[in-house]
Amino acid sequence: MAQSLAKEFTKGLWAELPPFRLVLGLCPVLAVTKTVENGLGMGIATTFVLVFSNLLVSMLRNVIPTKVRIACYIVIIATFVTIVEFLAQAFAYPLFLALGIFIPLIVVNCIVLGRAEAFASKNTPVMAIADGLGIGIGFTLSLGAIGLVREFLGAGTITIWGGTPVFDMTSVFANFQPFGFMIEAPGAFVALGLMLAVMNLIPSK
Amino acid sequence: MNNTKLIVSHAPFWHDGDSLFQLNLNYLIALLPAALFGILQFGATALGVLTLSVAFAMLWETIMNLVSRQDMTIGNLESAVIGLLFGMMLPATAPWWIVVIGTFVCVVIGKYIFGGTGGNPFHPTLVGMAILMMSWPVYFDFDAAYVSYEFDFTALAPLAAVKFQGAGAAELFPVGGLLAGQEVGAIGAVFGLGLIIGGVYLILRGYTRWEIVVSFLAGIIITGGLFSLTNPDAYPSPLFHLFSGYTLLGAFFLATENSSSPVNRIPMLIYGFLGGFMIILMRNIGAYADGTVLAILLINLVNPLIDNIRPKALGKGVTNA
Amino acid sequence: MREMISMVVVLTVLTAVSGGLLAAIKSGTELRIEEQVLKFQKAPAIAQIFTDVSNDPLAERFNVETEGTTLQVFPGKLEDGGTAVAFETKGKGGYGGDVGLMVGINTDNDQIIAVRVTTHSETPGLGARAKDDPSFVSQFADLSLEENLDLKNNNGSIDAMSGATITSQAVCLAAIQAQELYKKLKPEILKQIQ
Repeated sequence: MAQSLAKEFTKGLWAELPPFRLVLGLCPVLAVTKTVENGLGMGIATTFVLVFSNLLVSMLRNVIPTKVRIACYIVIIATFVTIVEFLAQAFAYPLFLALGIFIPLIVVNCIVLGRAEAFASKNTPVMAIADGLGIGIGFTLSLGAIGLVREFLGAGTITIWGGTPVFDMTSVFANFQPFGFMIEAPGAFVALGLMLAVMNLIPSK
Repeated sequence: MNNTKLIVSHAPFWHDGDSLFQLNLNYLIALLPAALFGILQFGATALGVLTLSVAFAMLWETIMNLVSRQDMTIGNLESAVIGLLFGMMLPATAPWWIVVIGTFVCVVIGKYIFGGTGGNPFHPTLVGMAILMMSWPVYFDFDAAYVSYEFDFTALAPLAAVKFQGAGAAELFPVGGLLAGQEVGAIGAVFGLGLIIGGVYLILRGYTRWEIVVSFLAGIIITGGLFSLTNPDAYPSPLFHLFSGYTLLGAFFLATENSSSPVNRIPMLIYGFLGGFMIILMRNIGAYADGTVLAILLINLVNPLIDNIRPKALGKGVTNA
Repeated sequence: MREMISMVVVLTVLTAVSGGLLAAIKSGTELRIEEQVLKFQKAPAIAQIFTDVSNDPLAERFNVETEGTTLQVFPGKLEDGGTAVAFETKGKGGYGGDVGLMVGINTDNDQIIAVRVTTHSETPGLGARAKDDPSFVSQFADLSLEENLDLKNNNGSIDAMSGATITSQAVCLAAIQAQELYKKLKPEILKQIQ
């Protein structure tokens, strides 16, 4: 039991890392990773939704009738997404402004619905939480990694939290000029593609 | 050649018995007049940009060959052509890191990721140019690039001058002067006559198709002429457009790149004309002073679509050949 | 039949619980959200508009009713003894959505003191300069409210930002809207200001 629990948790961190291994949930991956901070914030919001919706779906898995299960999952997920939106607005307002429409869009993130349908509806609550936490943390770290690459190349800074960069290239090279293309939308595709290519050099198992 | 197997591939064919090496060698030869003139005009820094560009383009290709564990392909000189073209599109004052990053984008993102030679949907050089112009527009401002230079002709980038001062500024640049390289611009794009000689050489040797070049130039002359006729005060003459900026480089060397241009005659004519048409639209109406890079990327994009215009296959009942 | 009933019951219960939970959380966070909006969006803009006021515009804010909507007005006491107000309007049709504009107006001579962009989702480096680079919005400073606050293309008096005409237009629309609102609501605002 403990071993399989650990397995469910760690698979999200490597073997089934959402954007890189499953290539799922790409909309927020491409849209919000302009800075590390935005990427991490988006990942944490998604993790919150993922863990609680997994927990609830798993607890109610014997109650929910099969025919309306998708509708029930959506209601559960949408509830938690709205809660996240309120909380972000109340406690992390600058982040809420930066993420904008992409917080409500977690509802249609295929990772969340995918985990509910494929895992939580068939497993015990504890396993579902482990799964949600693993996938969520994997997602958060991937978003942070893409944000790191894009922000470092595209703006020459690294912003982990609170809007102020912890590292600035201009303090190292005074006349550093960032590769602005990486911050633009097409740059997101190029960055993701190159990172996928590098990931594929390393076997998943 | 003791290859006894007879391999039949799909039509249409375009093969003149040459190798990639020969093709690219001829491209390099054709580019030489314009490149040498650029070096004479802009001095040693231009030579530095060109050599660095060619060297790094080949270096990136070598690294990609090693990383992807494939055979070495730098011997066919394709990356040298990409690098030389990229260098020729830069101002002579471009800093070294622009060249290094630019050739990386050209060779790796523009060509290698799509599968290497023959697989690229866009001209690799133009991918690099477009991405770099978006990131560091400052270094592609030719007026600013040559402020410390002394020239015995009007030291203004012709297209930018027309864009910001109106069509009257075109009178500062006589066509003869533009042809003889009496203008400020990219290293390899100023010497119109050299580009024309190189381009005609490639056409005569059969390496580029005259249909694309002619329809491209026709697109510029016809569209630019119509603009100029309707309002000569606002829009300069088509001849000015023809010999300024990247136009000639684009018409003879960039739009004609083999894997990103059509293979049949009618598509080639449409493709070329559309390119010239888009350039004039971008210059006269759009926000960019020189739209050549984006115009050619755009026709590269529609290339698969217009390439569907093709002769019916022989035989009975074949509808989707 | 049993399945039918269970479907209806489960969905009903689920949505009811969800609705109740959300209502509770909304009312719980409402005050804090309003504070955050004030603190992060309006306060910086107001601080830039009212550089030398002797009161606290945020604390003294009041609401003015107009055609069913509520306008939040921030009063300021100027150093020369005059009064001024600031309020926010939304300019429609920015490149990435509406552009929020805080407009400060001197109520004594009906001149604009300054305007600042509060919220926007414009392109960084192009439209976002409306907020990051004050040279565009500073054109509004000291203009009379009788002036045409449109772009020069539309016979107005404002130069558009190069490469960001759409954003400039949205900002101008917000300013014109503020102009009209102020003309209409001036008596009521003055009554509340005292």
